[in-house]
Amino acid sequence: MSIASDLIRGHTETIILANLLEGDSYGYKINKAILQKTGNNFELKEATLYTAFRRLEEAGSIYSYWGDENTGARRRYYSITTAGKAEYQKLRDEWGTAKDLIDKLTEIGGQGNE
Amino acid sequence: MNEKLRAYIESLFKDAPKNKKTVELKEEMIQNLIDKYNDLLAEGKSEDAAVNIAIASVGDISDLIEELNKSKTDMRSEELKEKQRRQSAAMIAISIALYIMSVIPLFILQDVNGLIFMFVIVAAATGLIIYSAMTKPKYRKLDDTLVEEFKEWKAATSVSNSTMKAISSAIWMITVAVYFAISFLTSAWYITWIIFLITAAIISIIKAMFDLKK
Repeated sequence: MSIASDLIRGHTETIILANLLEGDSYGYKINKAILQKTGNNFELKEATLYTAFRRLEEAGSIYSYWGDENTGARRRYYSITTAGKAEYQKLRDEWGTAKDLIDKLTEIGGQGNE
Repeated sequence: MNEKLRAYIESLFKDAPKNKKTVELKEEMIQNLIDKYNDLLAEGKSEDAAVNIAIASVGDISDLIEELNKSKTDMRSEELKEKQRRQSAAMIAISIALYIMSVIPLFILQDVNGLIFMFVIVAAATGLIIYSAMTKPKYRKLDDTLVEEFKEWKAATSVSNSTMKAISSAIWMITVAVYFAISFLTSAWYITWIIFLITAAIISIIKAMFDLKK
């Protein structure tokens, strides 16, 4: 699992952006969504998550605001910007290309027949 | 048990700069950890186990701390400052050249038109100087500490001081020009020196208005 974790960690920002495309969210909720989507197989370290938040915020892909919950828990929510949506599409395309290439490069026997 | 989580986060951030950003990040992390802890309890974990799992999920935050320590002044803003500095130097050079040249129409035309021309040029030069003083880059806070707030305040004060200086030096230069212009045209040297007294009074009034506005 640890090798896969390294691989996934390189795409933390894409994962976060994909999550925020479904609506504003906060750190723990995003991590919980990741856990659910992966069938309890993967979870981001909080440190990784917050580092990615800061990076995305600095790049203008997301912005944050403090929600005031009546329960007393004050959460910092994140929201995706228009630039963030474009960034998501770019990262997603990059991943598609990389996936194709890696598939081709690691395939055995199935060489191109040109 | 929440206190344990809080204490853990506090210990992680003990080397981080004490500012708003750090406080907010800590608050955010603590809140999320408490959420996680409560979820773990709901799943049937014991309190100790829940705290341990929550703490283990934080991971290595050295990158985050580094980011908090990182000074905000990057190369881009340095370059921008340099550009603005050059721009204001050029503007001041141009306006001084205008001041010097402003007497030329007076010499050539030798009448009221020359005088009007001179005033137009002086006004343009003065406008340039004041503009360059007003648009000087403001000092931006590096973080939210008190020292930075003081620096910002000091920079703001010196900007308004330099604006005042620019205005009063411009007025004095105009005064000298007007003094000579009127004196040469009217030859009333015995009385024209009064212009200097009037100017001193005008500058005091402007200064007072400036201070009142603050």
